Amino acid sequence: MRTVRLLLLVLGAAATAYGGWLLLPQLDAVLPWLIGGPVLHDVLVAPLVGLVGLALGRLVTDRLRLAWITAGLMASATLLLIAVPLLWRPPSAPPNPGLPDRDYPLGLAAGLAVIWAAIVIVLIVTTTEKKEP
Amino acid sequence: MIRRPRLPAPEDFTAPSHSPLVAARLGLWLGVAFGLCFATGLLSHFIQHPAGWFTWPTRPVNLYRVTQGVHVLSGVAAIPLLLAKLWSVYPRLFVRPPLRQPIRLSAHALERISVLVLVCAAFFELVTGLFNAAQSYPWGFFFPTAHYAVAWLVVGALLLHVAVKLPVARAALSTSLRRRSGLEATATGPDDRESAERRAFLRTSAGVAGIAVLATAGVTVPWLRRVSPLAWRSASGPQGIPINRTAAAARITVAPDWRLEIVWPGGRDTLSLAELAALPQRTAELPIACVEGWSASAHWTGVPVVELLRSAGAPTGRPVRITSLEADGLYAASTLPAAHAGDPLTLLALRINGEQLSPDHGYPCRLIAPSRPGVLQTKWVARLEVLR
Repeated sequence: MRTVRLLLLVLGAAATAYGGWLLLPQLDAVLPWLIGGPVLHDVLVAPLVGLVGLALGRLVTDRLRLAWITAGLMASATLLLIAVPLLWRPPSAPPNPGLPDRDYPLGLAAGLAVIWAAIVIVLIVTTTEKKEP
Repeated sequence: MIRRPRLPAPEDFTAPSHSPLVAARLGLWLGVAFGLCFATGLLSHFIQHPAGWFTWPTRPVNLYRVTQGVHVLSGVAAIPLLLAKLWSVYPRLFVRPPLRQPIRLSAHALERISVLVLVCAAFFELVTGLFNAAQSYPWGFFFPTAHYAVAWLVVGALLLHVAVKLPVARAALSTSLRRRSGLEATATGPDDRESAERRAFLRTSAGVAGIAVLATAGVTVPWLRRVSPLAWRSASGPQGIPINRTAAAARITVAPDWRLEIVWPGGRDTLSLAELAALPQRTAELPIACVEGWSASAHWTGVPVVELLRSAGAPTGRPVRITSLEADGLYAASTLPAAHAGDPLTLLALRINGEQLSPDHGYPCRLIAPSRPGVLQTKWVARLEVLR
């Protein structure tokens, strides 16, 4: 295992150095976009997720219900993130008439509605199953 | 009970999702997703900037459509997986550095730096890739070169991370998720609940990754077109195919006496549109497969490039440079490798889905070749040059 780890270390260092060298010419413009992700995540997103988790744990005591609501929130957050570049489009240089060719807000709303409808159905089915002897 | 606010410590995070058993498995999945992204991305890079040793097959005709679809969709799947992984290891952010032990401190610092590079680069690739797929550009750098360079950063930092974590990860991966501590394995207690919650977190992460893929896969998988609510592009457009660059954007004007120029070492020929249309035509179903991941097939009719060269008396079996009427622009010209130039399905198309090409689709004629990125399917062709 020691040799494998050493090999990975050397390969990893070489690939990182190559990437850094390729990036050098546009480093200034890229740097804010490189740093932005982790800063935004560690300072804002993760604490927020923790707080929502704590609050949800207090509000919903049934474990099954909590698990499904958590899953719904995770899925909704992911769909919202994917939709960001579709909803926010700074004017690009050449006109592309074929490009924003779908109703993205409607698609997002439909996706979220399907997810939450499925979760409500699952919860109703499982709670009625529980009540039946 | 009121406590003075302080920086949290790793021990403050007690949820089962922070277990190394969870982190290692998410890491493995994420490794697969990033591995697919890197391999397919590298292919796409070499197709567009071929090195001497690189060859790319012309069959199956959908090959590039599939590899680039995998590239974009594995990136989409990595978004929830990366967030789940970062949540799982978030407590490690608060590990206090071993300040009094210089050797351990430097090891700690190196590991932190490699993880920082990894997280920076991973976020960068997913965010810029997603924006590029939607053709939204809120930044000032040139996307293809930046995305390519940072891909090497991701892979390098990922290998470093695996080198550091290999013993921990191996131990975690070989431990069953249902593991219970202590000998009272039959008793149901808090540990049993923890194991259930660990599995639930992993199941949810995988499920959300699946939902993300399903929500976008319609850009390239035809039978999902009506299912995917967030596919950034439909398959429709003028004459049944979407358009990225219009004739107006490319500032194209086709002169009434337009003639196609064919040049080879020691010879030259020109053809009018009527003469092109009089040559034997071939119809083929070929996809436009864009680097942004969307793709759609159409029926193209035109003259096979290899037949055109033969009828002009030009040599075949060599690379061919295709130049557009477009004066400037990154994709005003492309080079067909010898394999593609000799393929009978590589057409100089005059018609799409039975209609004459509209100006936006490349009137008077455009290149359409199997298994190539859309940006290299040059429109408004003015000249074919057989290279040596």
